[in-house]
Amino acid sequence: MPVKWLMHFQPNQGTTLTSQVMAEACAVAESFPGVSRDGRWRSSMTFYRAVPRDQSLPAPSDLPRDLIGISLHDLPNEYLFVMRSQRLILRAHSSVQTVMDKLQSYKGRFFINFEGLQYKWGDFKLRIGKCLYNPNEALRGIVMEVEYLPLSSIDKSQRVMEEFYEIWREAVASKLLAGQFINTEVNFVEYGLGDSYTPQHTAVLYGMCVVQVIASSNKNQ
Amino acid sequence: MEPQQLAGSGDAPPKQVAQAMDRLGRAARLIAEIRLGADRILEALLVSNENPRLSEKAAELTLGEEDAMRRHFLDLRTVGKQLEDSGVLSGALRSRGNSWGLHMPLVCPDGAVVAYAWKRQLAGQAGASAVDRARLALKAFSDQKRRFFPQLEDDQLNRSNNDTIKFPPTKRPRLSHRPTQSPNIDSTEQKPMLADILKSIQTEAPGVTISTCQRLEWSKRAESLASTMNDSSLEQPKEQILSNLSGSFNEVAVIELVASGVFRVLVSLHPAGSTDPDAVAFFSPNEGGSYLHSRGMSVHHVFKHVTEYADKALQYFQSSDPNKALSHLLSWICSHQSLFTKNCSKCSKLLAMDKSLALLLPPVHRPYLLNSKDHDQDFATAYHIGCSSYDV
Repeated sequence: MPVKWLMHFQPNQGTTLTSQVMAEACAVAESFPGVSRDGRWRSSMTFYRAVPRDQSLPAPSDLPRDLIGISLHDLPNEYLFVMRSQRLILRAHSSVQTVMDKLQSYKGRFFINFEGLQYKWGDFKLRIGKCLYNPNEALRGIVMEVEYLPLSSIDKSQRVMEEFYEIWREAVASKLLAGQFINTEVNFVEYGLGDSYTPQHTAVLYGMCVVQVIASSNKNQ
Repeated sequence: MEPQQLAGSGDAPPKQVAQAMDRLGRAARLIAEIRLGADRILEALLVSNENPRLSEKAAELTLGEEDAMRRHFLDLRTVGKQLEDSGVLSGALRSRGNSWGLHMPLVCPDGAVVAYAWKRQLAGQAGASAVDRARLALKAFSDQKRRFFPQLEDDQLNRSNNDTIKFPPTKRPRLSHRPTQSPNIDSTEQKPMLADILKSIQTEAPGVTISTCQRLEWSKRAESLASTMNDSSLEQPKEQILSNLSGSFNEVAVIELVASGVFRVLVSLHPAGSTDPDAVAFFSPNEGGSYLHSRGMSVHHVFKHVTEYADKALQYFQSSDPNKALSHLLSWICSHQSLFTKNCSKCSKLLAMDKSLALLLPPVHRPYLLNSKDHDQDFATAYHIGCSSYDV
């Protein structure tokens, strides 16, 4: 599976994030020669909290209290779970969501949708999207996913992705956007993930990125 | 002469067909007898001409032969009449309604006999006769070649499937049979063997896995790579280490070079088992499918451009140093391990925007020019398409 980097937009100190930023970021992408729009994309994330069976008893300590469920745009038939505290990732069929609803052992606390535009640029694929808090559709952040199609090795693609990131940051700065894109740094080894990129890597990236997005959004409010 | 059975229209078609075949056989034998008879008559005439003493004996022989030949002619006429009546020679009975799908054997204008035209077997038999004729033609051709071009005998023994003759027959007339020697040997320089070349490349570039296989094996492997890539539940597709055909490199037609996480390169050899590369193509290690072969093209821009450049490099190696073309090519390929890490030697960046192509690419041009007799050719420089000058 091709390697991906995930970035989120960090607004400048004192400025608030607006949808205008999304339009400006797309304009930056479209300003590169050879970029072509490639449709829309959409992913979603659910923050689950454990529901204790018996309210009077304390919750067992070995079970995770919080669980993140992720549905990725490029894997419609799958659903991934991330347990950040235990550093575990689970890949399941998308029908597991029905199971979760029936079991009611974990309940969705809140939901985040990612949606936006997709671009193709040679061997790169770019996805710029809004991070929307469900249900009131409040804008919490702007994310950008960069995918390099020829390579699956994280190690071998490191330099290519770094240089792309620099090119992107320079373009964004030159267009005077009110902020910058920050890359999500993750130590995949902690999650037991290897050098070859997989959907589990993406799940971890999103999990980490959303935490940063929410933190930065709370700070700016 | 055995009594002939009359094949009436009351006979079943299979019997009629069998009888027709029988008669054709007899006709052929009669024709052969007639030819022999004519030969004997001529011989008798020659003998009597040279040796007048034997002329009486020769005359007796001639008269005897004449009788025999006359009989043969009569028999042939009878058989011919029978065949004509049964429709063999004219094909008139092909469309007979009650023939059970069988047709009379047909003698084609070129003399070939199409024995059975059973509907089920039509294609097979016609094919069989074509195969037989092709085999006969090949045999006749081989015999003539052996007779008129004896010096090409060794080449025929050495090349298993291919008749490409590198040098014209007049250049090196072969008088001794040395089947183990390659016909391309120049008297001054030994051409290296495939096994040695691969071993030395493996030592030179330990990060690259090299394997070899036959052409058909490769197409199966390419398909299996596609299914491995599709199974995204695998953490990492295991690189199947193909065993090199140890000791027997005679059939090797494809060399696969894999630098883990960087590239998969295919080089084809033509003819199989030789050390002459004829095509090269670069692919992503992610790719799999039937389009993965030495004349295929990657779906990724970076590898497309490297492959185009590799074609030029191959042509250069073939023209400047044909005996070592494969060694140079493989070394050059292995230098691409740093394709995604080595900066451009001109602008010092890794990624650069190519304005004409509107693509962001790493340095895909690695100069391939060989400098005189330097064996330590390291192909160390790399350039973006826009940065490489015309003469690198």
